[in-house]
Amino acid sequence: MTENNKYWRGIEDQSNPELTQKLAQNEFSQEVSGAEFLGNDDVAETETSRRDFLKFMGFSTAAATLAACEAPIIESIPYVVKPDSLTPGMPSFYATSFFDGMDFASVLIKTREGRPIKVEPNTDAPFNGVTNARAQASVLSLYDGARLRAPKIDGETASWDGALAAARNMITTNSVLLSGTVLSPALSSAIARLGIRHVTLDAVSQSARLDVYESLSGRRGLPLIELKHAQTVVSVGADFLGDWSGQNMDAAYAISRKPGKGMLRHIQAEAGLSVSGSNADVRIKARVSEYEAILANLYNAVASSKGLASVKAPSLRSDISGAIKNAANELLEAGNGALVLNGLNTDTAERLTLAINLGLESKAFNTSKLIYSAQGDDKAFAQLVKDSNDGLVDTLITLDVNPVYSAPELSLEKLAVISLADREDETATGANVALPMSHYLESWADFSVSDGMYAVGQPTISPLFDSKSSVEVINALSGGSESAKQLIKTSASLHASSMAWNALLHDGYAKTEITTTSSMDALMLDVSSLSVAKPATGLEFYTYTKTGMGAGSNANNPWTYELPDPITRLSWDNYIVMSAADAVEIGVEVAPESNGSMNGTTINLTVDGNTIENVPVWIQPGQTQGTLGLAIGFGRTKVGKVGNGVGVNSNILLNSSTELSTEVTAIASELEHGFASVQLAHTMMGRKIVNEVSLPTFLSVASTEWNEKPTYESHKGPLTAFEANLWDDHDHETSHMWNMSIDLNSCTGCGACVVACSLENNVPVVGKDEVRRHRDMHWLRIDRYYSSDMTKEVAEEEGTSAIQKYAKMEIPSESPSVVFQPVMCQHCNHAPCETVCPVGATVHSREGLNHMAYNRCIGTRYCANNCPYKVRRFNWFNYKGNEKFADVNPSQDDYGRMVLNPDVTVRARGVIEKCSLCIQRIQLGKLEAKKDSRMLEDGEFTTACAQACGSNGIVFGDVNNPKSKITQLKQEERAYHLLEEVGTQPSVFYQTKVRNRA
Amino acid sequence: MYTKSKSRRLASFLLVVVFMFSSSSVQAFEGDAKNGKKLFKQNCASCHKLDKKLVGPALTGVTDKYSEEWLLQWIRNNAELRASGDEDAIDIFEEYNGSVMSSFTMLSNQDIFDILTYTVEGDQKPVLADVVGGAVVVAEAKDYSNQITIGLGLLLFVMVMLLARMKNTLRLVQGEETVSILDEAGWFWGRLIKNKRIVTLATVLVTIVFLNQLYALMMGVGQEQNYQPEQPIAFSHALHAGENEIDCNYCHSSARHSKHSGIPSANVCMNCHMYVDGSEITDDAGALKYDGDNSPEIAKIYAAIGWDVEERGYIEDYEQQPIKWVRIHNLPDLAYFNHSQHVNAAELECQECHGPVETMEEVYQYSPLTMGWCINCHRETEVQFEQNGYYQDFHAELTEEYHGEKITAEKIGGIECGKCHY
Repeated sequence: MTENNKYWRGIEDQSNPELTQKLAQNEFSQEVSGAEFLGNDDVAETETSRRDFLKFMGFSTAAATLAACEAPIIESIPYVVKPDSLTPGMPSFYATSFFDGMDFASVLIKTREGRPIKVEPNTDAPFNGVTNARAQASVLSLYDGARLRAPKIDGETASWDGALAAARNMITTNSVLLSGTVLSPALSSAIARLGIRHVTLDAVSQSARLDVYESLSGRRGLPLIELKHAQTVVSVGADFLGDWSGQNMDAAYAISRKPGKGMLRHIQAEAGLSVSGSNADVRIKARVSEYEAILANLYNAVASSKGLASVKAPSLRSDISGAIKNAANELLEAGNGALVLNGLNTDTAERLTLAINLGLESKAFNTSKLIYSAQGDDKAFAQLVKDSNDGLVDTLITLDVNPVYSAPELSLEKLAVISLADREDETATGANVALPMSHYLESWADFSVSDGMYAVGQPTISPLFDSKSSVEVINALSGGSESAKQLIKTSASLHASSMAWNALLHDGYAKTEITTTSSMDALMLDVSSLSVAKPATGLEFYTYTKTGMGAGSNANNPWTYELPDPITRLSWDNYIVMSAADAVEIGVEVAPESNGSMNGTTINLTVDGNTIENVPVWIQPGQTQGTLGLAIGFGRTKVGKVGNGVGVNSNILLNSSTELSTEVTAIASELEHGFASVQLAHTMMGRKIVNEVSLPTFLSVASTEWNEKPTYESHKGPLTAFEANLWDDHDHETSHMWNMSIDLNSCTGCGACVVACSLENNVPVVGKDEVRRHRDMHWLRIDRYYSSDMTKEVAEEEGTSAIQKYAKMEIPSESPSVVFQPVMCQHCNHAPCETVCPVGATVHSREGLNHMAYNRCIGTRYCANNCPYKVRRFNWFNYKGNEKFADVNPSQDDYGRMVLNPDVTVRARGVIEKCSLCIQRIQLGKLEAKKDSRMLEDGEFTTACAQACGSNGIVFGDVNNPKSKITQLKQEERAYHLLEEVGTQPSVFYQTKVRNRA
Repeated sequence: MYTKSKSRRLASFLLVVVFMFSSSSVQAFEGDAKNGKKLFKQNCASCHKLDKKLVGPALTGVTDKYSEEWLLQWIRNNAELRASGDEDAIDIFEEYNGSVMSSFTMLSNQDIFDILTYTVEGDQKPVLADVVGGAVVVAEAKDYSNQITIGLGLLLFVMVMLLARMKNTLRLVQGEETVSILDEAGWFWGRLIKNKRIVTLATVLVTIVFLNQLYALMMGVGQEQNYQPEQPIAFSHALHAGENEIDCNYCHSSARHSKHSGIPSANVCMNCHMYVDGSEITDDAGALKYDGDNSPEIAKIYAAIGWDVEERGYIEDYEQQPIKWVRIHNLPDLAYFNHSQHVNAAELECQECHGPVETMEEVYQYSPLTMGWCINCHRETEVQFEQNGYYQDFHAELTEEYHGEKITAEKIGGIECGKCHY
């Protein structure tokens, strides 16, 4: 009964199965030469004879002995006056808000000795108390050495007074302020005091959608989605689990997708495989140009049942028309539990979506409570482009927006530019006056991000450089002299008058009253006269956002790039995603090299007459034929040493207000491109790795059928993997026994846990070249598997031969279902690594953890070879000193080093490292309880990954505590251990994935 | 060694002895100056000095200015006195900018008399200090072990020579040729060299000794026991923790809360050194050591934090300079150590690792701080179960598991690698 979908790891497995297998057997695919190890060209070039070696050896021994005689003098410098709120060695937490122009998150910042080192979700906040991968990574952007350090006038460093005076002289009534979305009431009023035209430009435009709501309700915001009220959600191109409206829906999605009666049904129609599409029960491969037609067809189905006027809808392709009809029927069945989401930024699409939701009286589509995290106005921006071409604009002030990169259609040649930026980016470099803007962790700010909540941002560190909060700078430009704190305090007294200032700073937000507006209904909206775009037939091109990069505010942050894309599993790149059929037609391919790195070929791509040459192509299963997608935010030229020249700039092809073009030509160019793929490493295919079951089976069949535990025949009769032991058991009855549960039903693949783990545990960044060699260092990875149509059952039915069967199992479905599986050290209680370590560097604890003593490890890598889960990472290089990593590894930079967690060792070259289940947090948690003389409570502390997981899919706790959540989860019928049959008895266990389909 | 503090203690004792027999100076008050001094230090010294203005006025001669009755009322409850409209009281209050003196209702009349007696007598210089200083001789236990060894060696040499002489005398008696002692030694050496067993044994012995020494040398690399660097301020733990019995946690307050014990910031020093400026320190002769100026060591704190001694206030916009102490105890980064775990949860005394700090003029590293040393303690130290609620469930389980044996840190996982290395 178990669904034996054959999961395999990517299209490249199929193109060279022998090589894949060979690589799978080889944990470390390539040896490192000695010269490369040393990381110094001079040494590598010298020829050293045996005699020289002996001389060096003798000398260095003597030198080492001498050096050991005298210890270096280490100074210990206390505060002169210690701040009361700070105890050295103890973290302090500050509530603040993260907003980068697209994502908003209410966060807690952990600081140590005054340095922010970790971003944690402020789970009390009513809106977006969740951190995604970008919010997690944002703390490292604070320590970016490429930031602008002082104001500049025409490229020369200047004082603030001088720069502000120069800027004020440039501002006239013909000046324009161009900004990203401004959520701050204080900043808005400062802008208003400036008295000039204000144009908002978003990296990902929602302008047309916003116009719809503004015209209907007078408020420029997007409706709040309440998934808890939804029964069936049909998303047309809306990646609502990735980036869509600015609302983080992970937690609500996980709750409504809890297996059982009433589990949310999720249908997704989309072009490229997104995170949402990967999690959907039914995924319909649509073209972007078909979105409007799909929505129109859905609307007509609803309209005919509800007696509304229908719209003229183009007919759909025969491949998808049936699926859309089914989706429409399901929506009608769900009644007011139905929900339709639209990902297309056009007036027609949004009106149709609104009409469907209103027609169905959807309870989940809340039009009286809006979200304001996108405010861009494309019409105003188009007017600005026109006016500046006509010479009607003299000075442009850019506020945290980079038009030279993101909106090349706006020519700055004739304009004087004042740029408020965090670095000398593409715009600030050429600006007449460049004013350094503080990072959000150094700034005062406030946010009206959604109806019902007012949030503040407070600094957690003094500005590292001579920068100021944006609100203070704009206020100064308008002639004010108040400090940022005063401005925010004044604003807070207006917007959160019920709350004391200190209480507001403590909580980070205030709940505010919602101004009630009349709710919308279907009759308000007549969509019958809308003209629905006809689907295109040729190649079409669209842009999308990547999980790591988002809108691109972290574009010089190495964690942004090192995090593999959850779908393609590629890091350090952007590329065209293309269907296999199109790839054949255009003549591009992707294939692994003999050393296991992935190579592909490139195309010259022309969109609307703009061309980029040699764009790499990735062949993506599940991609709709005829569609080409490219991620935004890459291809920077002046962002800093990490991000410069990584990927290509999609803004050259398509401006931010449009996300689709059908004027596309793609010609194969002869260039080979190397991808940094983590895909072929650590293969676990061919076995029950991700256990999956359909909802009807889950509900009606005993779990022993779909979650069968492996047993072994023995003289004592059949034994489970936990009973058949070669070794004596460790004592795990007394004190704690730490376990972790990972719910595969909740995991959306968002990658927040991976970044959180890197932050918490000082995981090094290794760069593209090393990732290509499968030497990525992430302690936690999220494996992604595609399904195949061929299963053992199908083969039996059809009488396929074994060879044929396995060959066909390598071929994915044309529209594969996708599963994500986070894998970290499983903390086996019978650990294969422990038994083979020749020096006892990895040993077991009585609390069920597999310890790793770095200073004892001699680097044989035997443990990694013996690990069935392939979770052990080897420090091939001295990442904190080797010049090869100077550009990417934060610990090589005086500023970047400040982000390191002082409680965790920075590992040296030549040792193995791996997940410790955040033992530093466990030890601290226990200590706090001991100091307070009380028992540990469940949930008092948790691991970094579990804390970052927005959908609460990762739960950590003590199974010796009968009241703990983890104890209940361990007894769940969905619980199973990864590769249980190996007999490793892991402390980490998984919950079977349940899909809501037959 | 004969120390200053010893001499001072002795001197003050003699002082008391001297005054016990002299009745000259006490005029108006029948008080015990010794008790008075004690009470003065406890209650008054934070705001008053005998000879200098501090927060309040200098107290020498106060008994001449005011009546006994008035002083009793003022000291016990000055607010009441002021409220009653006493002009003198109000004048003083205004003279010192309205800074309120605490009331001391708990002091008895006799206590107040004692204090006042002390203000009259003051810290008078001991007349006999010189004599006393000269009289005290602390016998130093000399180390004669070297001399003994040399003496014994000489004795042995003489005996060997004597024996050789005797042997030759015997030879002479028997009519044999005498052999010089050098030839004899040469012959013996030859025999020794030819004996392979002895050579082998000697080689093995030498090798063992060499390897042993080498091992000891190598194991000592990076080990800094007894490290005693010079510090920027000649701060004496013997004075602060020993003589004055200041609790370790008063200055190293984060030891209870944090992984770091914390070096006190200068503002913590100022809690006391705002009043204690070292000007009253006397030398061996009993004269003021710094001519009434501040101690130059304490002045370093003032220079760091910006304290104006004359104005008795912090200097505004002063560029503060942190004090750069030299770190004595250095654990390698790969080892995680938490003070609060040991001080707070395990209830260890600081001295168990840091040694008798209260006797150290200059602190040195008492323990080797090696992993072997850590582990050894974890093997031997019993866990403090009873008072700690954290263990309330495990204690019974563990007692059962170990059949009533002593439960050490090791038995609850205290020597697992991952407890300190992560």
